[in-house]
Amino acid sequence: MTELYRLRSVTKRYGANVAVDIDALTIDSGRLYTLTGANGAGKSTLLGILAFLTPPTTGEIFYAGERIDWKSGIVRKRRRKVTLLHQSPYLFGGTVFRNVAYGLKARGIAGEAERKAVDRALETVGLEGFRDRDARELSGGEAQRVAMARALALDPEVLLLDEPLANIDRETVLLLETVIASLPSRGTTVVMTTHAPDPPAGRNVGSIVLEGGKIAHADL
Amino acid sequence: MDFLISSFTDALRLIGSFSPDVVDAVRTSLSVSAGATVFAALFGIPVGLAVGLTDSRWKGFAVTALNTLMAVPTVVVGLLVYGFLSRQGPLGTLGLLFTPTAIVIGGTLLASPIVANYTLASVRGADPRILPTALTLGAGPFRAAATLVGEIRFGVFAAVIAGFGRVVAEVGVAMMLGGNIRGYTRTMTTAIALETSKGEFSFGMALGIVLMSVALIVNLFLSLLQRR
Repeated sequence: MTELYRLRSVTKRYGANVAVDIDALTIDSGRLYTLTGANGAGKSTLLGILAFLTPPTTGEIFYAGERIDWKSGIVRKRRRKVTLLHQSPYLFGGTVFRNVAYGLKARGIAGEAERKAVDRALETVGLEGFRDRDARELSGGEAQRVAMARALALDPEVLLLDEPLANIDRETVLLLETVIASLPSRGTTVVMTTHAPDPPAGRNVGSIVLEGGKIAHADL
Repeated sequence: MDFLISSFTDALRLIGSFSPDVVDAVRTSLSVSAGATVFAALFGIPVGLAVGLTDSRWKGFAVTALNTLMAVPTVVVGLLVYGFLSRQGPLGTLGLLFTPTAIVIGGTLLASPIVANYTLASVRGADPRILPTALTLGAGPFRAAATLVGEIRFGVFAAVIAGFGRVVAEVGVAMMLGGNIRGYTRTMTTAIALETSKGEFSFGMALGIVLMSVALIVNLFLSLLQRR
């Protein structure tokens, strides 16, 4: 295992409210981490920081040994290694293909390689034959699966999942659990927030518990 | 009442006979309005996006300025541009005063704040997940902004149409900067003002009917977009 993230004295404030206040945290590559805590504990804010979407108010973040300078182009490069999947994902207007291919196009991948990556990602989430469907006419579970396919198509180094198993049907939960559990073996680091009483267990599953923005417990 | 009915009948006859003066005024109105709308869109949409997407401490000032500019009377815009384009003005040597180009410049200034404000409103009303989703999927700032525009395109179209509606219906700028020259800078609105003052009520009414039809079509289109 190699260290992927290192956070040092990271805080995120919104006015007087301190959303995240972490003295130190390391996340290794190729592992699955659960991030738990009550509503408002700072889970989503921390995921935003790890996704390089939300700059911290203070503190330092190192990714693969490199200190992140939030005002340089490095952030954008690093952001391309990490994909955040929201609890209630937004699907762009148009077809499922357009959605799944969005990040590929942003990386200049087109043509046959794009089509193959999209088909492979849709197959992984059990949505073969959905590529020409209108993304706005999908059920909640199907939309969640398309969003997962959209993230998987990019083969990210890190996949950050914000309540990926909430408010979806049982069949989709089982499918996504299987997909998520398989990712570390492919080298993908996964950090997922969950309220589930029985989060994924295993020898290689780390856990981080947040309380009031601080780390209350960490089993890394 | 007979006067109104006979004028209305004459007006319809003028429209039906494609009177050259009516056709010229309609063509000039539509062309300068379209030109001004294009430039207003090129300026107003990026401004609306920039104000909507940035978190600068000047944002409140920018929003207030845009709202104020929306309420500027057309004659004030006409006066300002006249000052620049008149022979003694800084751009007087270009010889643009009393040309369709001058009307386009004035129309652009009139419509830009409207396009910017409507775009800003669309950005504010947009789903807050659009930009983070685009960014986390690897889009750069410009692709993310383009994606946002694509997702709120109906609001942006509405902004452009509202700008067109403002320009095609105004009279102050067209009169002051165009000079109301027959067959050259005479628009529907300036022709209505002139012909009515000359007692040619039927002619004015004919142009009024065309102008109302254009306004109706524009607003129907706008309503259609806002419902989507």
